[in-house]
Amino acid sequence: MGTVPFDRSVLKVGQVILMAGLLIGYVFSLLHPLGSIALPVLAVMMLHGAAVPSQSLPRLLYLRVLEPRGLVRPRVVVEDPAPHRFAQLVGGVFLAAGSILALAGLSVAAWTLGWIVIGLAFLNFAFDICAGCIMYAQLVRAGLLPLRRSAA
Amino acid sequence: MLLAPLIAFAVIALATVALRGGQARQRRHLVGRVVDGPVDRPAILFFSGAACTICHTAQRPALERLAPELDGRVAVREIDVAAEPALARRFRVMSLPTTVVLDGEGRARAVNAGFASAQVLRGQLLDAGLLAAEASVA
Repeated sequence: MGTVPFDRSVLKVGQVILMAGLLIGYVFSLLHPLGSIALPVLAVMMLHGAAVPSQSLPRLLYLRVLEPRGLVRPRVVVEDPAPHRFAQLVGGVFLAAGSILALAGLSVAAWTLGWIVIGLAFLNFAFDICAGCIMYAQLVRAGLLPLRRSAA
Repeated sequence: MLLAPLIAFAVIALATVALRGGQARQRRHLVGRVVDGPVDRPAILFFSGAACTICHTAQRPALERLAPELDGRVAVREIDVAAEPALARRFRVMSLPTTVVLDGEGRARAVNAGFASAQVLRGQLLDAGLLAAEASVA
């Protein structure tokens, strides 16, 4: 896959949903164990987004609601979307692992993973620092992932 | 449960420190690599690409600002990574722009992943003794 026009606003919407959902889930889980339901729900959202980006919830919300109403402006850049998909996959795996830990009754470990995802989503949202993309580049460099960019 | 955010923050901070250290080690590893082929003078290799917006809007203008100070003693060579993938692989170019400062023997003296300002490049040329201090002031 090469570089293609790519709307970063979809990523931002996804990061806001992720941060808000996890924060609400965390606060709720302090009061009731059912709050941890946020972990598997958001894991599914992220893994689905990584597998079928065109049908991801943030993308549909952005294209059908936010962008038409002018609530979020497009931010189209030309770049390779593969690292961002990989980052979503990593986030989804973290949350899936957190879900299993929560089911096993290991709430602190489960929410530590949840908070790592919140922190990384915030870094990406506020500063465009994509930890999953850096991980992707390191794995390509180590030869553990195929290089799918048209350049370099 | 209240510990979870603190542990997560500590993990992210440690990972950031480790990543910074890894990047610094990699830069040190790349410094010293030699380009193939004849080299007649020091040079700045500017790895670019058609889809790299910042290459055209920021890196190239920075090099153009620096060019008068170089006065022909240091060449500036723009390299399209799609056209010269072997050279890009040699310097492990994973992001654009990347700039490499080469001495007169074709040995890398500094590698910058991401945008490098004219000031940064000037400093690297001065540190490597490839540019006289009075030339940079002029």
